[in-house]
Amino acid sequence: MSPNMASTHFDTILKNIRIKLPIQNPLHSFVHNNVLMMFEGKEFHEALAEAGHLYRARSYWQLEKYKAKFDEKKISFEDIKEAIDQYSLHYNNSVLSEKLGIKLKDYYQGLMFSELMFNEDEIQPDIPDGSLWEKSAKKMAGQELRFNENVRKFRAKEYWEKYYNESVSSTTQPFIIRLISSYLDQGQSFWANPFTEKGFWNFFSQDVELTSKFGTKWQKILGQKLAAYKDQTPQAIIEAELTKMKIPIQNWEDYILDILFDLKGWAGMVNKLETEPWQATVKAPSIKLVDYIASLILIESSLDQYHAKVHSTDLAIIYGREDFTTIRSFQLTLAIYQITKYFHLKPEWMDRFSSEELVQIVAEVDASEKEHLIRLWHEAYENHFYREALSALVSHDPPKIETDPVQAQVLFCIDDREESIRRHLEEVNPDIKTFGVVGFFGIDMKFSSLKHKRLIAQCPPVVIPSRIVTEVPKSGQDTKRFMWLHQFIGGSDLSLYYLSRTLFRGFFSTLILGIISIVPMFLQVFFPKQSKKLRMSFNSFISPTPATDIMIEQGLDGHGYSKPEMAKIVQAILSMCGMKDDFCNLLIMMGHGSSSNNNPFKQAYGCGACGGNAGIPNSRAFAKMANDPEVRRELVKLGTVIPDASYFVSGFHDTCTDEINFFDTELIPKNYLTAFNKIKVSLDQACELNAFERCQRFSSKDAKISPKQALKHVRERAEDLAQPRPEYGHSTNALSIVGRRNLTKGLFMNRRSFLLSYDWEIDPQGEILKQVVLGGVPVCVNINMDYYFSSVDNDNFGCGSKLPLNLTALLGVMTGSQSDLRIGLARQMVEIHEPIRNLVVIEAPLERVSVVFNSHPRLKNILYNHWMKLAVYDPQAQGWYFFREDQFQPLVVEKTHIKHFTTSLDRINKEVTEDDFAEIG
Amino acid sequence: MIIEIFYLSLLFIPLCWMVILALCFFAQLDLPERFLTESVKWISVAMSLISLTLSALVILNGSKALYFDYPAWLIVGNYTFKLRYVVDLLGSTYALLTSLLVGIIYRFSSNYLHKEEGYFRFIFLLTTLTFGLMTVSFSRSLDLLFAGWELVGTTSILLIGYFYNQVQPIRHSLKALVSYRLCDMGILAAAAWSHHYMHSTDFTIIPELIEHAHAGALSLLFIGFFIIWASLAKSGQLPFCSWLPAAMEGPTPSSAIFYGALSIHLGPFLLLRFYDYFSHFPILLWVVGFVGGASAIYASAVGRTRSDAKTLLAYATISQVGIIWVEIALGFTQFALFHIVAHASLRTWQFLRSSSLIQDFFENPTVLQDKKIHRNLSFEKLASRMVRRKIFIHALHGFHLDYFTNKILDLFLAPFKFYIEIEKKWMSWNNKFVKLIIKK
Repeated sequence: MSPNMASTHFDTILKNIRIKLPIQNPLHSFVHNNVLMMFEGKEFHEALAEAGHLYRARSYWQLEKYKAKFDEKKISFEDIKEAIDQYSLHYNNSVLSEKLGIKLKDYYQGLMFSELMFNEDEIQPDIPDGSLWEKSAKKMAGQELRFNENVRKFRAKEYWEKYYNESVSSTTQPFIIRLISSYLDQGQSFWANPFTEKGFWNFFSQDVELTSKFGTKWQKILGQKLAAYKDQTPQAIIEAELTKMKIPIQNWEDYILDILFDLKGWAGMVNKLETEPWQATVKAPSIKLVDYIASLILIESSLDQYHAKVHSTDLAIIYGREDFTTIRSFQLTLAIYQITKYFHLKPEWMDRFSSEELVQIVAEVDASEKEHLIRLWHEAYENHFYREALSALVSHDPPKIETDPVQAQVLFCIDDREESIRRHLEEVNPDIKTFGVVGFFGIDMKFSSLKHKRLIAQCPPVVIPSRIVTEVPKSGQDTKRFMWLHQFIGGSDLSLYYLSRTLFRGFFSTLILGIISIVPMFLQVFFPKQSKKLRMSFNSFISPTPATDIMIEQGLDGHGYSKPEMAKIVQAILSMCGMKDDFCNLLIMMGHGSSSNNNPFKQAYGCGACGGNAGIPNSRAFAKMANDPEVRRELVKLGTVIPDASYFVSGFHDTCTDEINFFDTELIPKNYLTAFNKIKVSLDQACELNAFERCQRFSSKDAKISPKQALKHVRERAEDLAQPRPEYGHSTNALSIVGRRNLTKGLFMNRRSFLLSYDWEIDPQGEILKQVVLGGVPVCVNINMDYYFSSVDNDNFGCGSKLPLNLTALLGVMTGSQSDLRIGLARQMVEIHEPIRNLVVIEAPLERVSVVFNSHPRLKNILYNHWMKLAVYDPQAQGWYFFREDQFQPLVVEKTHIKHFTTSLDRINKEVTEDDFAEIG
Repeated sequence: MIIEIFYLSLLFIPLCWMVILALCFFAQLDLPERFLTESVKWISVAMSLISLTLSALVILNGSKALYFDYPAWLIVGNYTFKLRYVVDLLGSTYALLTSLLVGIIYRFSSNYLHKEEGYFRFIFLLTTLTFGLMTVSFSRSLDLLFAGWELVGTTSILLIGYFYNQVQPIRHSLKALVSYRLCDMGILAAAAWSHHYMHSTDFTIIPELIEHAHAGALSLLFIGFFIIWASLAKSGQLPFCSWLPAAMEGPTPSSAIFYGALSIHLGPFLLLRFYDYFSHFPILLWVVGFVGGASAIYASAVGRTRSDAKTLLAYATISQVGIIWVEIALGFTQFALFHIVAHASLRTWQFLRSSSLIQDFFENPTVLQDKKIHRNLSFEKLASRMVRRKIFIHALHGFHLDYFTNKILDLFLAPFKFYIEIEKKWMSWNNKFVKLIIKK
């Protein structure tokens, strides 16, 4: 092979590797992603199998958890049957079931309640059926079965671990973690790494050159190797090393991936900072994945060489070895015995086969069990929820359309956490209508606040922000003092951070700060809420926040929006809500966010549609746009007539503290104030009830507290320094409902559903549906999948426990003093989550839905590959459809009687039911 | 009299609580989390109030040391083990610091470790720590002090290994265990030595002894070296620096209380306890000063290259404790005590808040993107660019402290290795011999 060809080949390998690495954002810009987004081109279960292998993780819950759900009646036999029915269409194992002489469905059912155990210890198990045992033993006498034959293993790591009890990772990982974390550091260390400009490879080689003589023996070998490769490029070194190991070129990708996945988080971060350096917290160093791979491979091969020498082994035997396990006759006997029992076979079935064929059957059953067992349970578990959800939706009686004058229209985010507050608000004040739209309100902007000039993207990560919007002081405001003070406080914060950690200056700052620090520590730990109040009032005393305005208009710099553009944005959002002419006097744009303290994952609780930030700027900008008379004139051209009487107010809901704040209230016309105050009262009531509902999930609080106390409690949570669960975020999300509110109004959904407004009647072309689905559904699926993976295997797909987390390089967290950079969500965030794929329910003519999903590549991918489920209610045909077998199939759901309560509060207080769904009103 | 009641209750409250918890454990009583939370709340309030009053009383009393002796507990031949206590400014201040910080940590963990499986274990270990620290604070004899010292060490090791189903915490707690054990021998040796020469381990009588008996002075000097040796590991001074950064494996509050605050300052506490005696031997003070100074410089050089929150704090702590050692060597004992209190509070605060750093930096208006954070480098600037880079790399690797300690360890291990070789040879000869016999 010519070097040129090799390098192009290497480029493809590198490209494939990049795709498979975990998507890792620095924590300050955390966004919910499908961890396996790059696998979406594959069928869900197949992708999970592949990724599970790569991540060395479980892709489903443990079997015990499903079985526990079965015992709790959260999975019924009906669900299991349905799962098997669906499943047997895809994964046909009929050959095997024929061999066993049973029906395919019985085979699957037997499989679900069995678990083949090969007795490793060769102890006589408890055998109730002696004759069967003897028969099996006779058949299996002298037989053996080999697993993993013909699978060649190239990595020596497992070999050392298995046969010589060497811990490879704890020898080399501390070394590489120290280097990479120092190299990527964004400003946590006082002495910044001086090598960051010349690339990681330069740093690595200089480091090894200088320190190998002080290292252990493998480090000395590393030094020699590196010296031998002097002046070669990292890529050449990788190629040379892999060739030397005699690894076939088609296995390079797997080999490198396996090495990278030892420290998958760091690899993901290296990849991220190379491909998207603007994502760095402060400034990305010059880093290349290939440098990182080269150093890892050199370390690995030096360690192999060292171990080979110590244990006098020939490396040539180890690279590319076959590593099979043998199952012997005793174990096979047990297997055959179990198969006969689990599938309820007559002992005579064995007579039809020769011993060799029986061994083959054991192997096949074992393989089939590994492939199907847990998936079937998972599907049954999901089916249970889907059935419940759909039958609740079908049985739900939409309330009669009220004729009262509507007091206000409140536009919430689609977030599942807003489901409950919308419900409470409607119960408290039936004259308020609520809607769900994506929380960035269609404004794709970067925003810079008065206090902080950093530009923050206030839109979903898939949207590239096109404009810059800034917060400016209102005319006549003097902000000099405010700005200066914040710069000063920021500067001194920063220098105190560094100084208190150094020697001499640390000495003085310790003496001064030390005694003082007892006071805030005491207050924050014992009185979190009061200490926040104190801090706030102190802040406003020394530097009152000036009244501000936001600059949305396009100036000469071309940053903002022009009036027609604004009209388009407003039009898009209003038409999603189905508003054409039925505007009432007050419209409230309710952005949302979440406050929490001492929480590295704060961003994960924010508004997903605003890139994890608070939605305040978006709601302010939208209200400003919609109130602009010129924009309204433009809107008329687009066909939307907002009456002059309508006024838009910008609001903000804190999902953790359940506080609602309003902005620019001084601009509200005087004659609206009474109406506005009425709505405010309703909102406050709804907040209390919402807090109360949320408190039921926190086991630290008595469920019997009053809504008022609940509100107090959640506010305290947000400020508590020690609180690992300020709120449960999107936990338990499993549904997305696209349609008019009437479909779900008065239906208690236990905060499990994203709610997207869409009115099919005003959208004959299906254009609006496209916007709603494209803007909303992928976000919901991302959030759902992030929670799915973090909850099925929190140690490998997620971040592990929050308790020992250790912030690193201002980029991410490690567990304890040194570990991989963790990915995903922490255990405390997902502990109550139930991993269920998102069921999207759309109320629209079937034709439109099918067009939308087929016309967008990602949506098509996730739908056809089962990363989400789709049900459609066609209001014209009055029929329900479920997407199955690559097509919409009519869905028959019988109306059931779901439990009925007068109010949500009633439902919460009674706790007579564990059902997620209930009828309210 | 009232002082006696107060300090005894400071000892008894954690002891009783510890015993109750242990009994509950053995009786397999599952205490509800809420009960634990509520009771530790009241315990910490009570202890804080008592220790506050105690400190006030001691100061009102003119900061005089009060001695308390109790009847012999154990008599073996000539040896009688008496519980001897002392209440003075040093002890009561440390007890006050302990009760305040433990109170804060109790409260902090009740939310932080909520729903955690090991919550009971954590509370039990924290209580044991409190008892150990109170014992160390008030004890007047080395035997008694050793008991408290060991309790602190053991809980520390168990909390590093809090997540015992993972490999790394266990590995690192073993590292701490080895360092602790090596240095604990110092106290044992000091106790044995003083039994031999003074027929008592009451360290308050040493200064008198020195004044009266000039002949034994030199042998008394050894006690000093043992004490310094004993203080090294607990306060992470050279050459026992590397276990401390590795010890950050437990839940954050345990790291805060042990390695930011209370356990780490036991080294200087011990030195302060023996200060009256040290002051008679300038050479000991020289050693203390030298070790402290070297550790401070070493830790600050290594620490400034670290890029993760907890390791960084660990090195920063070592360097400040090093300075405290220097202060003690220079004779500023009151100042050193003040420094201990201030430092312990600051580090606890910083540890507890360590998860806020990303938000702190991100929301700081002076930190902007694409602009490196300006850090005032100081000493590094003295060296040229090339040298500075080299120093950086060596500092990143902790100046190869492990390498050098391993070299020294190898010296000790060499004879054992030699014996192993001999045994192997012997075995192979033996085998050959046996085979020969079998053949015949």
